[in-house]
Formats: sequence, structure tokens, C-alpha cells
Amino acid sequence: MEFIMQTLLPCLYAGAACVAFTFVFNIHGWGKLICGAGGALGWLVYLLCGQSIPAAFLAAVSISLFSEVMARVRRCPVTGYLLVALLPLVPGGGIYYAMRYCVAGETQAFLDMLLHTLGMAAALAAGGILASSAFRGALLHLRRMRRS
Amino acid sequence: MNCDALLNLAMEIGCQLMRSGAEIYRVEESVYRLLQAYGGEDAQVFAIPSCLIVSLRASDGHPVTRMRRIPPHGTDIELLERCNELCRTLCRTVPPLEQAQEQAQRLTERRVYRPAQILLGYALAPAFFTPLFGGGVRDALCALLCGLAVGVCLLYGSRWLGNNSLLRTVVCSAVAALGSVVLVRMGVGVSVDLITIGVLMLLVPGVALTNAMWEIMAGDVYSGMSRTTEAILTAAGIALGAALGLWAGQTF
Repeated sequence: MEFIMQTLLPCLYAGAACVAFTFVFNIHGWGKLICGAGGALGWLVYLLCGQSIPAAFLAAVSISLFSEVMARVRRCPVTGYLLVALLPLVPGGGIYYAMRYCVAGETQAFLDMLLHTLGMAAALAAGGILASSAFRGALLHLRRMRRS
Repeated sequence: MNCDALLNLAMEIGCQLMRSGAEIYRVEESVYRLLQAYGGEDAQVFAIPSCLIVSLRASDGHPVTRMRRIPPHGTDIELLERCNELCRTLCRTVPPLEQAQEQAQRLTERRVYRPAQILLGYALAPAFFTPLFGGGVRDALCALLCGLAVGVCLLYGSRWLGNNSLLRTVVCSAVAALGSVVLVRMGVGVSVDLITIGVLMLLVPGVALTNAMWEIMAGDVYSGMSRTTEAILTAAGIALGAALGLWAGQTF
């Protein structure tokens, strides 16, 4: 019961927020559900790995792999799924709290928060790049093996 | 082969791709493949986020080039998918140029959401983000209202704010912070921080960040840098706007 409240419910919220975002990005049909599932999956990985910067990295990796597979299945560009599913992980809270500390004059807390926010953004980008590159490389290799 | 018509076709499809928010390498590769499929000689394509240049050599050796500036745009995945599909079909079947041009003109007749539906999206997303970050039901309700206000600013604000995306971000962020302070002071909401963060997720530069990552991965470092700068500027705009909004809400 506690697991459901602490873990599954937030994932549902993240997925629902992603589905709401598909209206903004003009995504129709099955794409909406794929975006929602991607967002929920990313948040699940983020929660299970401990809500830290490495957790954000792993979440970005899982979202990228999921989006790449779904894009291959639906024969669509991967961009849309990835854009929306990564949104819940973008450190909006970090930007906000950094601003609060900066205005309050708490320089040390401000710098800590700023660096943490930058770290989150970098982890998301690095995770996405690595996972997508590895996936594409592996796919290319498989195709070559099948052809020969 | 009519070189001018081919150039116009390539430009039209390239521009639609850019406007849909496609990555630079996708635009360059799609247009290049299209030109190759139609047998364009010495085809060259160059794109950066605000500009597209396509160049060809006509059959008599005369060089022809077209350049078009890309206006500020959002992300339109439906348009991106249709452009991608059309490009693939054209490269595979190579129909006559007039027919292809006609199909390219029809790209804009795509499914779009009505403004009311987009507003619903803008309102619902914060309503789910606030509980995600730890807010209660009352906070979610406040986030819904603030999200609606920000959505109205984003959809209809261009009349007053122009196309300046930084100014738009500052104003929307200020509206979000001000709205949550007012709602909390009225006794509807509980936590100003959680409501504001939930609403700010609408403005957060997630798209710019993801795009920057893609451009750099594809080797377009110049475009990647420009998108990274966009992400940093947007984040600064959010911080500035939220600070202004909080200050205004707490002072008056």
C-alpha cells in the first residue's frame, strides 16, 4: 500500500502531465499514450534509483531507449516522444529554489542549488545522448549482421 | 528537368520541417535526399535554427540558390510526422514535380487542436505536476487556475508581447508566481513554492535542452550551442519573472 502511494501514484501523475503536454505539442492518436507511458517510466526509474543526479541519468537512459523502440515500432520520428517524456525530469524546481536563495542573499545555498540544477540538466542530456547513440549503433550492427 | 521548381519544392518541405521544430540534421538530410532523388546536380543544403539555404546547379551549369529565414516557431509533432512521411514517399516514388508541389502545399492541412483543447493541456499539466512534487488537492486546484492564466498569456499574449520569447517567458513566469501568491493569500492554496514550480514546468526549457542534446549528438555544434544558449536564457527568464511575481504578490 505504501509502495503504491509513494511510487506508483507519482508515476501516474507524471504520465498524466505528459499526456496533457501532448496537446501543446500537437501530438495525436497513439502518440499521446506513448508519451504518457514514457513519462511514467522515466519517473519510476528516477524514484527507484533514489532521486539523485545519477537517478536522473538512468531515467533519461530508460526514456531514450523506450522512445527509440516506440519510434521504430510506429515508424515515426523519435523527437516528439522524447521531448514530452523528458519534461517531468527537467529541473524546474531547481531553477525556482535557486532564484529564491539568490534573492534571499543565501549565496552558499544558491550556488549549491545552481550546480545541482546544472548537474540534473547535464545528466539528462548525457543519458539521452549515450542511450540513443548506443541504440542506433546496435541497430546498425544488427542490420549489417543480418545482411551478410 | 526544371531546376527552379525542384528548388522551390525542396525549400517548401525544408521550411515546413524547420517550422515543426525538427532537428537540424533531419532537415538537412531530408532535403538532401529529396534533391538526390530528383537528380539535382551538386545539391547543397545548409541549415541553422533560424535559416535554411538550398543550392543546386542547373543542367546548363548555372548555379541557383534559395535562402529563407525561419520565423520563431513552436513544436508541432503532427506536422513533423507528415513532412517525414511525405519526404519518404517522394524519395521512393519520385512523382512529377507539379504533383509533388501540390502535396507539399497540402502539408499544412493537418490535424490541429482547437485553442480550448490547448488551454486544457496548459491547465491540466500543472495540476498533475504539483501533486508530483508533493502538493495536495488544493494546491493542484490552484495550479490548474494559474496554468490556465499562463496558457492564455502564451496563446494570446503575442499581440502585446510580440515575438520576443524571453520577454514572454518573464511575463508568464511572473503571472504564475503572482497567481499562486494571490491564491495562497486568499486561502485556497497551501504552498506557494509547490504551486509555482508546478506551473513553471510549462515554461521550463525542456524542449531547448533536448534539442541541444540532439544537435550536438548529430555533430551540429553551432546549432547545439544556439539551443543551449536558448535554454540558459529561458531558465534565467523564468527565475527573473518568478522573482518579480513573488515580490509583487508579497508587497501589495
